[in-house]
Amino acid sequence: MSPRTNGRGVQVEDTKICVVMVGLPARGKSFIAQKAQRYLTWLSINAKTFNVGNYRRNDAPQPPADFFDTTNAEGERRRRAAAEAAIADMLGWFRQGGVIGIFDATNSTKERRKWVMDVCTREGIEVLFVESKCDDEEMIMANIRDVKLTSPDYKGQDPEKAALDFRNRIKHYEKVYKSIDEDGDENDYTYLKIMDVGKQVIINHIRDYLQSRVVYYLMNLHIRPRSVWLSRHGESLYNLYGRIGGDAELSPRGVQYAKKLPELVRQSVGGDRPLTVWTSTLKRTISTAKYLPETYNQLQWKALDELDAGVCDGMTYQEIKDVYPEDFQARDEDKYNYRYRGGESYRDVVIRLEPIIMELERSEDILIVTHQAILRCIYAYFMKKDQSRSPWMNVPLHCLIKLTPRAYGTEEERYQADIPAVSTWRGKGSTAKHEDPIPEAGMAH
Amino acid sequence: MIHLGLSCHILGSVAENPGTNDPSTADLAANAPRYRRKSSTFIDGIHDVPEDADRAPAQLYSTMSGRLFHSGRIAIVMVGLPARGKTHISVSMARYLQWLGVKTRIFHLGDYRRATVGQGGDVPEDYFYPNASPASVVLRQKILKKCREDIYAWLNHENGQVAIYDAVNPTASGRRSLAKEFAKHDVQTLFLESYVDDEKLLRENARNVKISSPDFAEMDPDEAAKLYLRRIETKIPTFETMNEKELNYIKMINAGEKFFYNNISFNYLSHRIVFYLTNTHIKTRATYFVRAGPATEDESYKADAPLSGEGVKYSQLMAETLIKHREQERDSLIANGGQKVPLRPLSVWCSTRARTLQTADAFKDRGFKVRQRSQMSQINPGVCERLSERAIRRLYPDEVEKHELDPYHHRYPRAESYHDLAVRLEPIILELEREQNDLVIIAHESVLRVLYAYLMHCSTMDIPKLKFPRNEIIEIIPAAYQNEAKRIHIPGLDPRTVPSSPEDIRIPVPDSRSDTPGPLPGGGLPPAAETFDKPPEKVVNTAAEAVMDKITDVD
Repeated sequence: MSPRTNGRGVQVEDTKICVVMVGLPARGKSFIAQKAQRYLTWLSINAKTFNVGNYRRNDAPQPPADFFDTTNAEGERRRRAAAEAAIADMLGWFRQGGVIGIFDATNSTKERRKWVMDVCTREGIEVLFVESKCDDEEMIMANIRDVKLTSPDYKGQDPEKAALDFRNRIKHYEKVYKSIDEDGDENDYTYLKIMDVGKQVIINHIRDYLQSRVVYYLMNLHIRPRSVWLSRHGESLYNLYGRIGGDAELSPRGVQYAKKLPELVRQSVGGDRPLTVWTSTLKRTISTAKYLPETYNQLQWKALDELDAGVCDGMTYQEIKDVYPEDFQARDEDKYNYRYRGGESYRDVVIRLEPIIMELERSEDILIVTHQAILRCIYAYFMKKDQSRSPWMNVPLHCLIKLTPRAYGTEEERYQADIPAVSTWRGKGSTAKHEDPIPEAGMAH
Repeated sequence: MIHLGLSCHILGSVAENPGTNDPSTADLAANAPRYRRKSSTFIDGIHDVPEDADRAPAQLYSTMSGRLFHSGRIAIVMVGLPARGKTHISVSMARYLQWLGVKTRIFHLGDYRRATVGQGGDVPEDYFYPNASPASVVLRQKILKKCREDIYAWLNHENGQVAIYDAVNPTASGRRSLAKEFAKHDVQTLFLESYVDDEKLLRENARNVKISSPDFAEMDPDEAAKLYLRRIETKIPTFETMNEKELNYIKMINAGEKFFYNNISFNYLSHRIVFYLTNTHIKTRATYFVRAGPATEDESYKADAPLSGEGVKYSQLMAETLIKHREQERDSLIANGGQKVPLRPLSVWCSTRARTLQTADAFKDRGFKVRQRSQMSQINPGVCERLSERAIRRLYPDEVEKHELDPYHHRYPRAESYHDLAVRLEPIILELEREQNDLVIIAHESVLRVLYAYLMHCSTMDIPKLKFPRNEIIEIIPAAYQNEAKRIHIPGLDPRTVPSSPEDIRIPVPDSRSDTPGPLPGGGLPPAAETFDKPPEKVVNTAAEAVMDKITDVD
């Protein structure tokens, strides 16, 4: 039992989890680790990855394959030192309020896993092992080519030689590698073992909701290529008057954008391949998607509705400042957490968007037509923007954004409709009206 | 209410005697002891045949075919020996899938067997043997055929999406041909095996579910459990655990301790099921539903006002009543020969709204830990805030018309519908499933309605009308076949604090009895006046009676 009980059962807020990656090199461990970290951070769960390779590189920047030979005592000692340094940093981070630490290393022997387990248990941290096991030679080589050869370990080296060296490095690991619970004596560990990219999966001893959440998320990931398109609704009548919220129709310029959207999308997709369109339930997004081809399947989601401004709904920023001066200032100080009276905060929006993100992760090509605050949150998920900045991002009207997730981050392209629209952006601590965005505040800084 | 429950039971026993005229299989299924066409919201409706199956609590979206997640038709085939909790898993899974908006129905093969051999009858001794006599094989096939025909009828003609087929399915060859047969009907198959090799767990299961039968009377419970398990072994001598590489299957080992997952062509739905199952457990614990106390500005949603003086008094009385109730329950358990176990720990959840938080203070001050959940804040009334029913009818006549047609999904301008609320509450549902402690949920009536509807499976037409008067705490106890609801009366409250919350959306419901304090969740019940004059201290659900014939069952 976790030491973190108060006599009334384990409290979920107190849970601290160390996600320990397990597996040979080139099995997509870092991909999984970075996805999980991004998802958790977005949900405001304090998460951080500790990559042992990065620690080792400080000490041995470009080691040859036999550095990883277990009979090489010097290599072994230095790799051990790197793992210890990473763990020490991670424990320090947990003590300062970290919730989910991701320990990204091969952790390929029972002894190493037991060591991590013991260290964490002593600190009251739960351990979730996540193993990626794959014997598909083609996939491994693809991974080596795409990811490993761009790694700092092989910077400036001949790719052929580097690939061979990396294969040899893996061989050294294979000699001592034990898949988790392979011998049945790691039965008490909490683990997720993903075999052959999800064809077979073992889930063992899930101990709390948060662990199940992480496992569920990881099971929904796929690696098929796809993109996500994001657009705000066209300029609305409320935008023209500088009012927030409401359920207004599009302005004439907004209608122009709606009519141009099909062409923008075709240009960006590069063909007639139909997309699935998700809109909110508000008139301005539905009208914006109105002219898209009929072959596009359209779905309305309440969860994509604009942030609810509560009592301030339908007011201008000036009116809000006049009527609720304290609120106006409080929102500027912590926009992410500020909840409008009777309305929502950005934090609330992220919670309601969570099922949308899960659907997005498992879906392929999707076009989302939604609102400023919602787009900021979805964009922050893909582009890993932190909470202090994401609510201040400028997402201009009449612009289509294409996001393409890659192994180590997301690529972004923008398509301008070249139809003028008012700005709906307001800088932090500035006057109470919409203004032209200053360059640093925009997303493309 | 009790009356309704009993009539259901009577209906059930009638159906078990099909009589001499062989009824059509569809009738059989519909009248099978587990299915009711209609029932009270007071009884767990998980086995009801829904009148309007298109309306599910948390349907995120539906496709043209009415099937969710772009998945086709799916048969979830249970695998496992008796006493492995298959029925429990089937029922919980159906509850969750229906909540998600997936049209799901459970087909317990045992129901068909009982309907065929008749009440009190028994299957031949060699019924499950691989080398059974021709007569037994014919009987077995007849029963299987009826059950499968109903599955196809439901998937093909009633637009069902997931059929849960609850049977032993002991052999690999049988499972292979089953998958083939379903494939021929254009139905994908996902096998879900409950595999238990933990002796302790097996015995506990057998003891809890099966051995209240007269056969085991006056036996030592442990001995009885052992005898029961031995009987299964002789009755079903061949059982092969799943290892068929070409089939989609989930193997749930030792009641969720471990999952093994062989995934050939499934993705989302099976992930979702595993996610759900990793959060469920079969330990007994109680969930209590409690209203927040009245606030100072009760009519305003946006004000988020603190508790009034009455509200503070209410919170104290409520907490005292609940704590006393739990102690009494434990004392009476011990008095009846139960073990002297300590009270299960109690957790308290409330929303981030001021009045629920302040109501929870009554527990916090007594040393219980309180968790705030922002997802649990009340339904947003939108434009209806502060409006009387008459004003709403005058201002939004079109909306009122739409609302009356579908009170669950319709949303007033700028408001949330109950459906929106349900979607937002999903993480709460899973944490609720996972919770091992007893749990008090302090929330607005709208939130209680949706959570109650999940646990007791109410129809969407009833959900907006469920009533939770302040003078009652609702206690829900989960059980394998269906959940049980009890109510605990809070004595000594000012009658003005009792009625439905005035800050609620003034939804014009056709039968506007909303100002009278109804008994329990009200929809579909006889007029409130009959029962609410003197609410009994406690009403026990008759769910246990409905499963009496399950006792000697080996499915």
